[in-house]
Amino acid sequence: MRNLMPDRSELLEFAVDRANIGIFALDREMHVLLWNRFMADHSGKESAEVIGRNLFDCFPDLPRRWLEKKVAGVFLLKNFAFTSWEQRPYLFRFHHGRPVTGGIDYMQQTCTFVPVKNASGEVSAVCVTLVDATDTAIAYRQLERAMATVRENARCDGLTGVFNRRHLEERLSEEFYRSRRYGGPLSLVMLDIDHFKRVNDVHGHLAGDEVLRIVAARVSEAVRASDIFGRYGGEEFGVILPGTDIAGARVVADKLRELVSGQPLAYKDVGLEITVSCGVAQVAPEHTTYEEVIRLADTALYRAKREGRNRVCA
Amino acid sequence: VSGQEFTAVHRDALQEVANVAMGEAGAKLAELLDTFVRLSVPRILISDAAEVPDTLGKLLEPHNAVTAVRQSFLSRIQGEAIVLFGEAGCAELADLMGYDGVLAPSERREVLLDIANVLVGACLGGVFRQFGLELGFTAPSLLAEDTPAQRLIRADTLDWSRALLVEVNFRLEQGAFSSHLIVLLPERSIDRMRESLDQIIAAL
Repeated sequence: MRNLMPDRSELLEFAVDRANIGIFALDREMHVLLWNRFMADHSGKESAEVIGRNLFDCFPDLPRRWLEKKVAGVFLLKNFAFTSWEQRPYLFRFHHGRPVTGGIDYMQQTCTFVPVKNASGEVSAVCVTLVDATDTAIAYRQLERAMATVRENARCDGLTGVFNRRHLEERLSEEFYRSRRYGGPLSLVMLDIDHFKRVNDVHGHLAGDEVLRIVAARVSEAVRASDIFGRYGGEEFGVILPGTDIAGARVVADKLRELVSGQPLAYKDVGLEITVSCGVAQVAPEHTTYEEVIRLADTALYRAKREGRNRVCA
Repeated sequence: VSGQEFTAVHRDALQEVANVAMGEAGAKLAELLDTFVRLSVPRILISDAAEVPDTLGKLLEPHNAVTAVRQSFLSRIQGEAIVLFGEAGCAELADLMGYDGVLAPSERREVLLDIANVLVGACLGGVFRQFGLELGFTAPSLLAEDTPAQRLIRADTLDWSRALLVEVNFRLEQGAFSSHLIVLLPERSIDRMRESLDQIIAAL
């Protein structure tokens, strides 16, 4: 009976050729000695086309100086060498065949260079295995993007898109200590929409939401790049003004008040007459925490409300 | 127990083996980089694993921020090599390693991984050849960037009780670049290394 089982060397040859990773080998002069099916399929060059030829003649795009040094190191040191997609996304410009990649242009590759030693212990060739790491790279990029979104969401207000209370307080705390340590004035404006409850009651909550969005947008456009603006809660907003004293802060607050109050807000076909009141406070040497500044600005804000709204108090 | 059995005789034998290996490694690295390379005489320490973070802190400037690359090596004796880099001289060495121009952060990391791999391979390869062992390696990876030396390894994450530390200092002729190689061996591998050293001692 004929033995139909492949022998060991046939199996080895098959395994190397059909393994789902790239396997190739190079001699000291960078001539290709071995080129498996994976390499042929992805490069479009059959083993017959590349074996015996210089690798750089076949693939002029390869980073020559660096790769020659890498292979020389394997021969000289009789040592493994590695490349990872995390630092060097690819050696060969192979297509990855994935429809959704998020900006990944070529197959991401992780390579291991293994010295092939002869009987006397000298390195006679370098065997390279190339693993497709594109899926890992895509998953990693998606994770990074998700993390960026999470970080962004954690500091932004969902309705208006401006900074939320937590981020506002964090920044105020930072600026507070910076001002204490290095000097320089620091002021805070608290801005509150007048009769906001009435807007909700008369026009509905969607109108209220729209008013919040428009006020936030108008103020956002008006503040300087160095100012930090966010929604403190409800219909109350805060603007941190580093390097600004109380007089300057009053000017800013009055400008913001006019910007909102001076022009009706369009909601559907209705023009809503909206005004805001502002309380202004500056950090003083006797303040020990940033919360005291918030309390001070809030007190000024309530005075502005009591004195008839649509005004700035300090 | 094994720690005690690693006697002064074993330590001296390992020092000899390491000296020979570093001599070879230095010559090869100099040839590869085409510059003069200085490898220090290795310092050998056996330490309780719990003391490894402090020991690392003492070997280096404890508060200096270092970048560290780790790489596992595999054979009958297994362990982990850690290469610590200071800030200086990376660009110069990058050029010697075949990199062109100004380095992007990812290229800088790749250079450090490359250097770590070359150093570990040259130094450990030489030691283990004398034991008649062929080493395999995993890909090197970044352990930490700009971290104080004594915070590199947390004692409670080491899953062995004693460690053998071999510390080698690597410098370029110009002196700008310097790094440290530290080899950590778990207890079982210390036992096996002692056996290999016993054979070498017996053959003398």
